Amino acid sequence: MTCEPDFGWTGTIGEVVLGATKADGGTRRVSYRLGGGTTLPFLEKRADIPTPLIAFEICDLPVFWSPIVKKACGDLVNNPAEWAKAAETAYGADIVRLYLTSTRQRDFSDIASIRPAVEGVLSATSLPLIIEGSNEPKIDSEVYQACGETGQGERMLLGTAEAGKYRSIAAAALAYNHSIIAQSPIDINLAKQLNILLKEIGVQRDHIVIDPYTGTLGYGFEYSYSAMERIRFSALKGDTDLAMPMICSSIDSLTIKEVREAGPADQDDMAIRWEFYTNLAAAAAGAEIVCVRHPGTIPLLRRAFADMKRQAGEVQ
Amino acid sequence: MALKALDIYKLLPKKNCKECGDPTCLTFAMKLAGGKADVELCPYLSDEAKSVLGASTRPPIRLVRVGVGVRFFKVGEETVLYRHEKTFYHPPGIVFRVLDTMTEEEIVAVTKRVRDETFTRVGADLRFNGIAIENASGSPEKFAWAVATVEKVEAHLPPVLIATDPAALTAALVHCGTYRPLIHAATAENYKEMCAIAKQHGCPLVIRSATLDGLVQLAKDCTAAGVADLVMDLAPATLGDFIRRSTAIRQLAITRAVPDLGYPVYLDATIPGLEDAALVLGIVKYASVIVTDPLGPGATKAALTLRQNIYTDPQKPIQMNPGLYRVGTPGKDAPVLMTVNFSLTYFTLEGYLESTRVPCFMLIVDTEGLSVLTAVAAGKLNEALVRDSIKKFGVENEVSHRKLIIPGYASPLSGRIEEATGWKVLVGPRDAAEIGEFLHEEWKQP
Repeated sequence: MTCEPDFGWTGTIGEVVLGATKADGGTRRVSYRLGGGTTLPFLEKRADIPTPLIAFEICDLPVFWSPIVKKACGDLVNNPAEWAKAAETAYGADIVRLYLTSTRQRDFSDIASIRPAVEGVLSATSLPLIIEGSNEPKIDSEVYQACGETGQGERMLLGTAEAGKYRSIAAAALAYNHSIIAQSPIDINLAKQLNILLKEIGVQRDHIVIDPYTGTLGYGFEYSYSAMERIRFSALKGDTDLAMPMICSSIDSLTIKEVREAGPADQDDMAIRWEFYTNLAAAAAGAEIVCVRHPGTIPLLRRAFADMKRQAGEVQ
Repeated sequence: MALKALDIYKLLPKKNCKECGDPTCLTFAMKLAGGKADVELCPYLSDEAKSVLGASTRPPIRLVRVGVGVRFFKVGEETVLYRHEKTFYHPPGIVFRVLDTMTEEEIVAVTKRVRDETFTRVGADLRFNGIAIENASGSPEKFAWAVATVEKVEAHLPPVLIATDPAALTAALVHCGTYRPLIHAATAENYKEMCAIAKQHGCPLVIRSATLDGLVQLAKDCTAAGVADLVMDLAPATLGDFIRRSTAIRQLAITRAVPDLGYPVYLDATIPGLEDAALVLGIVKYASVIVTDPLGPGATKAALTLRQNIYTDPQKPIQMNPGLYRVGTPGKDAPVLMTVNFSLTYFTLEGYLESTRVPCFMLIVDTEGLSVLTAVAAGKLNEALVRDSIKKFGVENEVSHRKLIIPGYASPLSGRIEEATGWKVLVGPRDAAEIGEFLHEEWKQP
């Protein structure tokens, strides 16, 4: 009797390289190959398909960052380089995602400050980097140019491109061989459209990571979850315009009511659970990179991913 | 192989007697074709017709009911692998475990918690579903005592009885045998005795095997022994095992490739260090009964919220009641922000408004749950709706000014809203995250 389901997949998730080691012309200690999946998440028979990667998010100006993170990370939040180092050595992240929040200040024009900020983080950690730039058309071009140039050779991931905002990021990624995050508002068709737009201006498939936008648990997560499942399904059915790895970043997890209003004794627990439940469910739907801001979420995710990959009878 | 409604109709008596509860044989046939009805409902079917229809028309996953009274829950009768294909119908019952080695106070406390605790979000009361009592002591007397202790507190919480010794189950069923407890678990070794107990009390029964072939064999044996309400424990050694087997079972059951796997799935989430992960994966990957130790405050809210999210019908967005809502205690000069009654829009905006600490009014208009962008495109959000809502909810009496902030995506309507309402319209940001900055910069006291 056959007890193996046949899904009839024909496609494969394309691969994207993140981070360059010395051998590849960079300075990272490790380089990741995202993607490569041939079936639903965690159903792979191949042992070399990696578990999802965990990115720890930091920023260079923490005024708008959650007070919960400031409490958990202490003074590190005022020093991006030290914070990045802690992400690698103390928190155990796979990737550091640096938000250049300084560029989001009103009338920001200090483009010269970007290079030292990115350089500082690059030299403080040997993990691959994701850089999130500005959010203002007037300066985007210069900001992404500076990010891209500073990280030349490191195979970074630049974010975040959207339908109305992708040219500056794409230009920097193309010029310095980085990949980009392409975000669409929880809609498979818009995700595909943006990927096609990027293809038309020369960004190759193997340089795109899809961000279907993650509403955190309780705040639209079900839409994001299904968008991810649909993207993965379409990719496996052979749609190459959607066959890229996905990133889940539920940036609202620590600002929602349940976390904000938890009592002081429960707040850390609430924050960690909210990040954990959102990210683990997203990984089950197909996210290859999950992002957290609370250091306490990382060991929980790490342990869960390991057990999800483990076959029966395998020693832990 | 599934039959079409018309093929099924040919096998029905065509009397339109309504005894099945449907107005005509054709509508009954359509329900059968969709797996939404049971052939047994028709009293006039020949045995031959039943045997033809039976396998192909009963729901691909059996509906199993656990417990009695107001708190009973039903699981199974699912039809899809992905929620976006249709919806997931029956949320998993999450039951808290107690051991018969715990003290009376401990058992009573857990039972009371499941009985009393609710968490309200998006207008729904979310609760845990029942109590699993485990025979950790090995003693039938202790087990019966623990079950009696639970039942004394609240007899209508669906029980799950976990024991390997039929004598322990028999002793416990003296106290809850008429409450439709779920019995865990029949294995290849003990299924005959377990089936006899389940049959005697009319209880659903968990069958347990680490292979799908083993589950198929047990399902055949137990149904042959007269127990049809089965739930399957996949006995996973790792969470990876669980995802792989649970997904395989769902796929094989809904495609009717292996009809004997068409039963709801049971998951023991009491895995040291992996409790939360097991809950998450149980909820998203097809578990129907999840046993967990009592959860802390964070896991409680996160688990119940995840279950609510995943089991929300994707075709029916959750809606807010239209009306005028207050954020903080707004005065006569507070801003009024209009938006749609799509619950996600409401809660997202509300969250950002709360963090700006500017007291204000939210005017929620009825777009039948559509988001701003789609409501504008579909014409559901228009000047007449805004005008009528202002009148209906008495906004003019609440504020002394006549300024309305509308969502950025509704900007094409700004002129028409001004004309229809006589209010001055301010176009707000497209993204709720920017509302704080907008209010601080654009909102001038009238």
